Amino acid sequence: MTDQDKTLAVITQFLTRADKSTDDVSPTTGLYGDGLELDSLEAAELSAMLEDEFGNDPFSSGDELPQTVGDILAFYEVAAPA
Amino acid sequence: MIRLLSRAAAAAPDQVAVVTPEGSLTYAELLRDAHAVAAAFADPSPVRVDPSPVVGDPSPVRLAGVRRVAIVEPDAAWVLRLLAGAALAGVEACQYQPDTPVGELLPQLAAFDHTLVVTRRPDLLELADPSPVFIDPSPVLIDPSPVSEQATGRPKQATGRVLIRTTGTTGEPKAARHDWEILARTVEAVAPRPHQRWLLAYGPQQFAGIQVLQHVVAAQATLVAPFPRQPRDGLDALLQHDVTCVSATPTYWRFLLTEARSRGVELPELEQITLGGEAIPPDLLADLERTFPTARISQVYASTEFGSIVSVGDGRAGFGVDKLVSVENPEAHLKIVDGELHVRRTAGMLGYAGRPDVPADDAWKPTGDLVEIVGDRVEFRGRDSDVINVGGVKVHPLPVENAIIALPSVAAARVFGRANKLTGAIVAAEVVAVNGTDEEELRRQVKAAVADLPRAWHPRSITLVEAIATQGQKTVRRMEP
Repeated sequence: MTDQDKTLAVITQFLTRADKSTDDVSPTTGLYGDGLELDSLEAAELSAMLEDEFGNDPFSSGDELPQTVGDILAFYEVAAPA
Repeated sequence: MIRLLSRAAAAAPDQVAVVTPEGSLTYAELLRDAHAVAAAFADPSPVRVDPSPVVGDPSPVRLAGVRRVAIVEPDAAWVLRLLAGAALAGVEACQYQPDTPVGELLPQLAAFDHTLVVTRRPDLLELADPSPVFIDPSPVLIDPSPVSEQATGRPKQATGRVLIRTTGTTGEPKAARHDWEILARTVEAVAPRPHQRWLLAYGPQQFAGIQVLQHVVAAQATLVAPFPRQPRDGLDALLQHDVTCVSATPTYWRFLLTEARSRGVELPELEQITLGGEAIPPDLLADLERTFPTARISQVYASTEFGSIVSVGDGRAGFGVDKLVSVENPEAHLKIVDGELHVRRTAGMLGYAGRPDVPADDAWKPTGDLVEIVGDRVEFRGRDSDVINVGGVKVHPLPVENAIIALPSVAAARVFGRANKLTGAIVAAEVVAVNGTDEEELRRQVKAAVADLPRAWHPRSITLVEAIATQGQKTVRRMEP
């Protein structure tokens, strides 16, 4: 499993537990609003799951909050050693 | 302590006072040994010469004139000997958790400026550069005959004080200085019940443990004191040592019942169950009533600083609103201010270690315990310091925890705050599942169990664990990073 697949697996697991659809989740899918419709509590939950899995998370570590699924994937691709 | 012990030794000299893994001791023997310990504290001759004068203090160690002593001792019989002996000698005793690793213990001792430590722990006695000084108390009892006749004589007026370290770990270490005579007031009304056999579930270094010691001696009963003091050890004591009375925290009871059920053992009948130290979940109270139908169940509300505050025995959670100050009861010791319980005029501490005595005035003092009036009861909602601020919403961990614990597939759980950049904090839960429970199914059950609570109260981090964190037999609920 690539880093990207692992990250997507955590996001999918989060969506399943939150009773949200996992269909059509792609890097361009927005996290809030019209996309996954996360509110602050749900985003906090996702950030905790990512932190538990990878030791850090883009919601806490980055200067700007991730806006799309792709932003989360990119955070780990940049952060992770090659 | 010494007054209670002298009374018990006079009334029932051959009654077994304490049973430990090392053996048992009668009240007469305990009093004799306490006098031997007190005599050692008055002895001007050196008890030990420093074995390494080159690196250490070359002067021999004398106990005469010592005012404060630390005790690091797992065996409750030894704890009783040393506490009573120190009280008799007017020496302020302070116990430390007896199995604390050396690396943690030394800074703890230094924090309270304890330079003399009584212990039988070989690793401490054999330290190459012993600072503080560690002394083995065993030789004191090799020939107790010179002081044994004092045992039947009139006891000296006890003036001893005891220092009780608080279990909190945040901020600077704290310890409350108590006077044995004031502490003894809370057991003044206890009638002799020599048939009772009390389990020591608390550490005797805790305030609640001291209360159990005092109660047992006042009742001239028998203390059953296993070591270690985990709930499984308590269960063994219940099954093997005819324990009839148990005082413990709800967390302790939860684990003891779970252990008993997983072992499939039949629990004996109990005469008395005392709960304290934490708010009591209603389902646990009901479980105890079902499991021990003949037991009297009472709840004590006490703190290391304020001493014993309320005791109720009506089998209901919390205490009656009639205990609060009111027009009908202007002299009451309790009132509620902004949801927090305040107390006054309790048999509390003299002051904190290293600080002067607190004046014994009538001032109301906040307890840090949050309460709510439900009908005719004052019910506990948890500690002020445990409240989780989730995006500006104050969340109390206990209702969340109680909802989770009530699930049949959950053996134990704790709820606490977890720092989060987005909301400041989120509600986190650690859950011990009953064997064979599917993880995702359990998560769904937890979600359903808290569905009626406001959204901010829902756990956003749920972790399945083998055991939950406890401290001093209480569930740890403080905020985590």
